[in-house]
Formats: sequence, structure tokens, C-alpha cells
Amino acid sequence: MTGKVLVITSGKGGVGKTTTTANIGTALARTGKKVVLIDTDLGLRNLDLLLGLENRIVYTIVDVVEERCKLKQALVKDKKNPNLCLLAAAQTRDKTAITGEQLKTICDELKEENDYIIIDCPAGIEQGFENATTPATEAIVVTTPEMSAVRDADRIIGLLESKEHIESHKLLINRVRPNLIKTNDMMSVEDVQEILSCDIIGIVPEDTGIITSTNKGEPIVNDEKALAGQAYLNIARRILGEEVPFLDIDAPQDLMSKIKKFFLDLFGKNSK
Amino acid sequence: MKDIFAGLYNKIIGFFSNTEKSSDESKNVARNRLKLVLMQDRTNLNPALLERMRGELIDLLSKYVEMDKEALDLNFENDGESIALMLSIPVIRAKEEEEIEAALKAEDDAKKELEEKLKALEEMEEEDEDEYDEDEEEDDDDGEDIEDENEEASESDNNSEEQTNENSSSESEQDETTPRKKKKHKKKKKKTILNIPEIIEVSEVSEEVSENNTNENENNDNSEENQESSEEKSE
Repeated sequence: MTGKVLVITSGKGGVGKTTTTANIGTALARTGKKVVLIDTDLGLRNLDLLLGLENRIVYTIVDVVEERCKLKQALVKDKKNPNLCLLAAAQTRDKTAITGEQLKTICDELKEENDYIIIDCPAGIEQGFENATTPATEAIVVTTPEMSAVRDADRIIGLLESKEHIESHKLLINRVRPNLIKTNDMMSVEDVQEILSCDIIGIVPEDTGIITSTNKGEPIVNDEKALAGQAYLNIARRILGEEVPFLDIDAPQDLMSKIKKFFLDLFGKNSK
Repeated sequence: MKDIFAGLYNKIIGFFSNTEKSSDESKNVARNRLKLVLMQDRTNLNPALLERMRGELIDLLSKYVEMDKEALDLNFENDGESIALMLSIPVIRAKEEEEIEAALKAEDDAKKELEEKLKALEEMEEEDEDEYDEDEEEDDDDGEDIEDENEEASESDNNSEEQTNENSSSESEQDETTPRKKKKHKKKKKKTILNIPEIIEVSEVSEEVSENNTNENENNDNSEENQESSEEKSE
């Protein structure tokens, strides 16, 4: 089998690239696909934390590149999800320790035995970005509906468009807050899409469950009740080619808003 | 007492009310700011280039109207639905027709001089080169904006025949387009003559800035140098 190489990038830091990588990877692995996640944020690794695999890292990608170990030795298999493997970043080096070509060689080798190779790109547009995007054929640009994130995403989209080997790029709008959108305090999904003119692969709502899931090292996609988890699951299905309608993230979650909605519907005052 | 009840009542109603409070519609502010800033980001016009564009525009427009050069305002603005490059020029007075024509004629003469020098140079180089490029008539790299084409056509009648021939052919070819160039006689495709900058169309997003150098005031002893730099720019 030849695997697909997908890069998750954003430009701006902190918008949810690593969370997205962990969750999409986990979701795809649960559907039976063989997935390898690669953390290219050398020096500031976090993907291992989000997956709960931080204690099992022995060899990192730099060890592979510098031939201190074989690629197979550096791959950490997730015991809870046997189709999922992690290739961790080095914590003691920086992004100049590897080149894009070296990463491409590693990906070419991984492609032979895996269905999906998902690369977690670091923030910025310097060598880390260049490294991470070199082996990829598809990209997901993660952004939030905030000005700085959208501006940076626009720059990233421009850079991706100039790379011929990246055949397609899609937008993932993260940390969406429907009540703020309703009061016109946050840009809506349509606004962001219009400004960036990019197809959307998914919309993930702001979910406090993310904090808990990171604390525990268990990706939120394992929690069926969490809205963000469902959103990530849908994104994984879309990557597999399925047509999935976007979640209604407007549905009230907590008790108070449920009561409110009930009474408003009763009195016919709900403007929806 | 009444106040307490009124307050309580409002709170309860507020709780159940679903009216959309738009606090200054901050998202619309954000959206407009973003569109503007992305336009600036995307056009690769750093402040130095913008300054230069401004300078060239001033020089060009000063030929036709007398204006306050310091007060020329050039920036991107939200024009309702789209982004536009806005240019605002306080005009001090209109120039007399004779003034304009005199200045333009001086320009043309200078250009012709330069042409002739270049031609002489080309003829020398021709002996070394084997290839010719035909079809340079379509090259759009030089020329000036013709507002009073008629006057210039009549002027050019007094000049070399070549010029007139070029003009008539150029007029028939470029009928449809907005008044643009005077054709220059070119032997080689690469040796284009760059002169006066064109007016940059003040329009929507897809403004095309053609960078042309003006060499009016300089001595064109190093015409070769000019040719090389024009080669780079025409690319």
C-alpha cells in the first residue's frame, strides 16, 4: 500500500494543530487504518503529551536521521490503539537538526506499510514549516475565527499554494463559539471562509473537554459525548472520502441553556 | 423598593429574552480590518515600493495638472464591498494646454533622441548577433499615456516617417484598448525603451503596477545599462 502524507499546519501558534493531529490520527486508526503521527516541532515537542505516550519515548526522529537507531525502533506504538504509531520529536535539539529531504526519506519508507502519515507542523514559516511541508501531498490549515490567526493562515495558504507538490489544502476552523457568533462578537465560519477563500474540511467547537483530555493524555475523540470529539470524528470520515454534513454546534450543551431553550420554544420567542 | 422589583423584573426578562445584542458589531469591524490588512499583505507593496509608486505617480500627474505634491494621498481603503487603491490629489490649478503640450513635446524629443542613440548602438551589435525577433509590436513595456492623441499625431507628422508609420499601425492594432502607447521601433525584442511610467489604474484589487523608469532627465550615455535594467524589469 502507498500511504498518504498529510501535514497539519497553521502559521499561528496555539490554534490547535497538535490537538488536531492527535485526534484525527486516533480517529483514523480506530477505523482500522494504519496511521503514523510525526511530531516535527523539534525542541518543543507536545504530540507525545497529547497522546499520553510521553513516558515511552526512547528514540526520536533525530536519532533516526543521524542513524543511531532504525526507524522501526523509534516508532512508539499506542497500546490503546494498535494501528497508531508516533515518531516523536527530539526535545534537546532545534528545528535545524533535520532537513525536509531527510523527513521525506523517512516518509517514503513509512508510506510502504501505512495508510496515513500525519505530520504535525510547528508554528511559524521558517525551517520547521519547510521541513514539515516537504514530504506532504495534502495540507490542512488550522485556524480560529480570530484576526491574528486568520491573517497568519492567509500567509500560510499563500505559501502552500506556491508549493507544487501540495495538491490540495483545506481549512479547519477550530475553537468556534456559537453564542459569540450569534451576538456578532466573533467572526462566523462563512466570514472566515470568504476571507480566506478555501474549502472547509471541518468546524470544531470550543470545548472545555479538550483541557481534560489533554490533562489525561486521552484524545477527546474517544469521548463520544463531547462535541469536539464528534467534530474530529467527522473530519476523519471526510478524509476517508465520506460526505459528512457539518455538526450543528449550536445545540445547547449545559443545563441552563437547555432550560432557556425550552421556555423560549414554549413561548414561541425563539428567533431560530 | 420599586427599583429593586424593576431590576429583578428586567433581570428575569433579560434571562429569557433572546434578542441579539450586537456590542458595536465588533465582528464586522474585525472582518473589515482583516480584509484591508490581507490586501496589503498580499500585494507585496512594502513601504519603500509604495513611496516609489507615489513618487512616480506625482511626476506623471504633475505633467497634466498643477497639484500639491506633498498632499498626494495613496492607500488601500474599503470601498463598500471591495478593497480599492485610493488616490487623492488636491489640485492647485489646471495647467494651460500649451504648457502641457510643450512639456510633452520636450519629452517626446528627448525620447526620440534616446531612440536614435539606441538604434545606432543596435546596428553596431547586429553585426555580432544572428537572431532577430519579430513581433515586438506587441510588447507593452514602453510608451506614455496619450490623452491628446490627436495633437501628438499631428506633431509626429512633422517628425520622421518611421514614427508615423508606427503610429498608424499601432492605432489600428490597438483600437480596442484604452489609449496607451506610442509604438517604438524595435529591432530586438529585448531592447525595449523604458520611459515614462503609465498611470496606474485606480481600481479594484487587481491593480497592475508596471514599473517603468523615467530617464528623461538623465544623460543616456549608458544606454546599454538602461537596456539591461529594462530587460530585468520587462521580465
